[in-house]
Amino acid sequence: MDKLNIIHKTVISIIISTMVISVVVPLLFFLSITFSSDVEMTKFPKALIPTFAVTVKVAPAEDGEYEIFHNRGEGYRSIITTKNPTKLENHFRRQYSVTISGEKLLEDFSKTRVNGSMEFKYRKDIFYNFKQFFAIVNNSIPALKNSVLVALYTILISLSIGSLAGYAMARYTFKFKEVINVTLLIVRMFPVVGISIPMAVLLIKFGLFDTLLGLALLYSVPNIALTAWITSSIFIGINPELEEASFVFGANSFQTFMRITLPLAFPALAASSMYAFLTAWNDTISALILTNQNQTLALVVYKAIGTTSSGIQYAAAGSIILILPALVFTFIVRKYVNQMWGGVEL
Amino acid sequence: MSKAKLENSSQIGLTNSKGLSSIFNKKTIPYLLLLPAFIYYAVFWLAPVFAGVLEVFTDMNGSFTLTENFKLMLKSDLFDKAVMNTALFAAISVILQYFIALLLAVLLSRKFKGSKLLMFVAMIPMAITPTAVAILWKTGLIKDGWVNSVLMFLRIIKEPIVFLNAEGLAAVFLIVLIDTWTVTPSVMIILSAGLQGIQRELKEAAYTFGANKWRIFVDITLPILKPSIITSIILRLIAAIQVWAIAVMVLGFSRVPFLVERIAFYVDAVPGVATSEKLAFTFSFTTTVIVFITTVIYLRATKKKTKQGGNS
Amino acid sequence: MSYLVLKDLQKSYTKGGSLVVNKMNLSINKGEFIVFLGPSGCGKTTTIRMISGLEEVSGGDILIEDKSILNKKPKDRGVSMIFQSYAIWPHMTVFENIAYPLKLQKLPKNEIADRVKAAAEAADITALLDRHPAQMSGGQRQRVAVARAIVVKPKIFLMDEPLSNLDAKLRVTMRTELKNIHNKENATSIFVTHDQSEAMSLADRIIVMNKGVIEQIGTPMEVYHDSETRFVASFIGTPPTNFFEVNIEEINNELFAVSCSFKYKIKSDLKEALKPYLNKAVDMGIRPEFIDIFKEDNQEGEFLCDTNINFVEPQGTHSILIVSIGGQEVKIMTTKYMDIRTGTKLSLHVRDGKAMFFDKGTTHRIR
Ligand SMILES: Nc1ncnc2c1ncn2[C@@H]1O[C@H](COP(=O)(O)OP(=O)(O)O)[C@@H](O)[C@H]1O
Ligand SMILES: [Mg+2]
Repeated sequence: MDKLNIIHKTVISIIISTMVISVVVPLLFFLSITFSSDVEMTKFPKALIPTFAVTVKVAPAEDGEYEIFHNRGEGYRSIITTKNPTKLENHFRRQYSVTISGEKLLEDFSKTRVNGSMEFKYRKDIFYNFKQFFAIVNNSIPALKNSVLVALYTILISLSIGSLAGYAMARYTFKFKEVINVTLLIVRMFPVVGISIPMAVLLIKFGLFDTLLGLALLYSVPNIALTAWITSSIFIGINPELEEASFVFGANSFQTFMRITLPLAFPALAASSMYAFLTAWNDTISALILTNQNQTLALVVYKAIGTTSSGIQYAAAGSIILILPALVFTFIVRKYVNQMWGGVEL
Repeated sequence: MSKAKLENSSQIGLTNSKGLSSIFNKKTIPYLLLLPAFIYYAVFWLAPVFAGVLEVFTDMNGSFTLTENFKLMLKSDLFDKAVMNTALFAAISVILQYFIALLLAVLLSRKFKGSKLLMFVAMIPMAITPTAVAILWKTGLIKDGWVNSVLMFLRIIKEPIVFLNAEGLAAVFLIVLIDTWTVTPSVMIILSAGLQGIQRELKEAAYTFGANKWRIFVDITLPILKPSIITSIILRLIAAIQVWAIAVMVLGFSRVPFLVERIAFYVDAVPGVATSEKLAFTFSFTTTVIVFITTVIYLRATKKKTKQGGNS
Repeated sequence: MSYLVLKDLQKSYTKGGSLVVNKMNLSINKGEFIVFLGPSGCGKTTTIRMISGLEEVSGGDILIEDKSILNKKPKDRGVSMIFQSYAIWPHMTVFENIAYPLKLQKLPKNEIADRVKAAAEAADITALLDRHPAQMSGGQRQRVAVARAIVVKPKIFLMDEPLSNLDAKLRVTMRTELKNIHNKENATSIFVTHDQSEAMSLADRIIVMNKGVIEQIGTPMEVYHDSETRFVASFIGTPPTNFFEVNIEEINNELFAVSCSFKYKIKSDLKEALKPYLNKAVDMGIRPEFIDIFKEDNQEGEFLCDTNINFVEPQGTHSILIVSIGGQEVKIMTTKYMDIRTGTKLSLHVRDGKAMFFDKGTTHRIR
């Protein structure tokens, strides 16, 4: 019995570690790449942990020039020979992500005139790739703002319209309820791409093409239905007597809804807003179809991978910016989402 | 919940909503609450759907055609491949993900040290934007990327593999693996929730009557979980049918064609060409029909579940 | 002959942790209806789970017909269990639920059908066989659980608070039925409950448990009238037994139980037993119905003290009076029909032989 237990435990530990490793290792490498300099990107094999400094060997050369050596895996090799400060500065910035003025470099290197060849160590600008991303992809800052706003609009539209419908579905019996239920389900499952192109035509008519509101209107289509579905299941669970008690104490319907029903339904609303957020934040295809100028961050990052084929580390930095809010949002509301899933303990 | 009580409650509400009682009577309230959703869906869903259908059944000159655009689609580059790949991808990825996730969920159903941490880690991939997932894996799959680094480090391979040159089935499988990495942990969480929700005594009862672990799993656990598994599988299938971003971003357009990838292709890569728009419309329509059929199957499945009485 | 024997049975859920069941010794005869009675958390469930084989034992032995069953799987022990939550499988019809244990035994189809029918008849659910559990009431589910338990013809029925999820009225009906089924099936039953009236009305013998230890084993009458420990006296009976801390003192060759507010003369049959406790503190217990009340002086019973009534709770068949003795609230149950109200002055007498004394250390009855 004990022996079996030990085997069982070992097998489980191995499986768990394999799973954790296979989730975490790609993430770590990815993170490492977003902090890698151009030179590190060409290195192979890749390091799990990025370096935070670069070491170069400098030897004095003729005509006041310096020869710079760098170890790229197979020992120190001569990289460039120059005395031009701009060239040096660019070289260090582009290759090593070290932002330092050329004059300062020359000043440092001048010591080699006396001492012979020397090693120099420079701190990397670890956020270099992020700065580059915003620099290269010139509309990325507005795109970030757009993404946030579109997500916000989507949450507002979906929650306000969807929760009303959810309340009606939970609390009342009426004709066509079954039909409406099925319709909501179909809408929820309906692929957004399916209506994106005709939606573009419609939005042009309304003058909403290439606007954030236009995008949010599209993203709300599945999310209103989803919100109705999630909230109605929660409203059903809320005892109507709680509402009646409020009526008895003289509150009107609106006050009751605001003070009693809404707070009780908060987990459902939190979960719904997460799904609305993720729809808006993660989508690229609809944004591709419905926007020209007002692009969202996901779209911009998607396009960046085409425009900067060599510097994939910049696109990686961009996607970190894309990931973070979604990650934060998900983890804030995960408690409520878990409640929806039947109280799985996390 | 008695109906009388409900009606009662809304009537009490009425007396307070001064004067508006003629509109706000209990029969119209549900319709009023549903009205915004009605209007929204009439304008922003039904209208585009009709417009889209109209486009599919009119030719370039605007006159009606039943099959013209479908012929165009059938003849378009890579159509057959797109259909095949989509079907393959949906089938393989869903089977693989559910198999792994179920296995993990069952093995981890017992509480142990670090299970909270595990769940936390499992939450991460599902919160990552697909675009970012694609870039993450692209950095891995390039020739001097980290996937080769790891494989060489583990001495599984001697020479770096050029993953991004993968063709045909291998390329589909590559996308399947990436999707599996992204989706499996969240599927596992959903299944774990289901497993945790099953009362311990239901399994113990079977055990006292002589069922072994395997029988308990097959006869008790799985059937009780079945409705929720079916629901989530269909939802996953619907998502899988719409795969495209990862394929395009990792490998590029037309490398592993999928249905939705074709839509993006005609919108993004070859806009302006006269047939592009028609093709995009027709592909959208086709994809939608496929998803719709899947949805109907799903509805059937859930109907059956309610007939059975579901799991209380 | 003992049918089921628990020998020094022990259980702790963590290695070297506290004992949830502690040195339990018990022998049960064939055909008996045994009730485990005790407050929640005292180890009742743990004990029957060990008997059923769902829980491993930490020490001791369990024997059925003189053979240890510790190494046997639940199905080979010849027991069947009815769970508190019924544990009816939601995805199976009533028929499938009852038939499943037989399917596991790989019995032929027609035999399964016959036995399911018989079990369903015994539990009175023949009409429900095609239903799913979701479409049934609590009482009906309970019957399904019973039918499923009897269909395997077990030697021993184990029931863990099977009635606690039913409403009060149904609980009373169901307990009669359970007893009937027990009689009809010639079964040996172990029934767990924390409800003393359930225990009293069902049991051939009650096992009173507290904190993992058996406090007393006896018929319902024995545990009530002849409580073995202070715990049994306090747990069984409503309202509960009144306890007083008293000193045993000798005055004029007589023994007295002395508290700050009364001096009670101990009857001669307890004198010997209480001698060793001379000048020591013991617990004195008197059940509420064994305190008689008089308005004037009276010679019946043994005088306890005089007091005033604080409160009267008429119950119809009897009344409960609340008085205070030495600052302590004491409940009295009386069937006497007389003019009593708050403030009425009364003389309290203890009925002959009904005062109980308990050792403060062991909590056992002194006699
Ligand atoms: N699986 C378990 N793990 C740890 N402790 C347990 C477990 N089950 C029960 N206990 C503890 O054992 C004691 C007895 O529990 P139980 O047998 O369920 O009592 P009862 O059925 O009399 O209410 C309680 O203190 C309880 O907390
Ligand atoms: Mg219990």
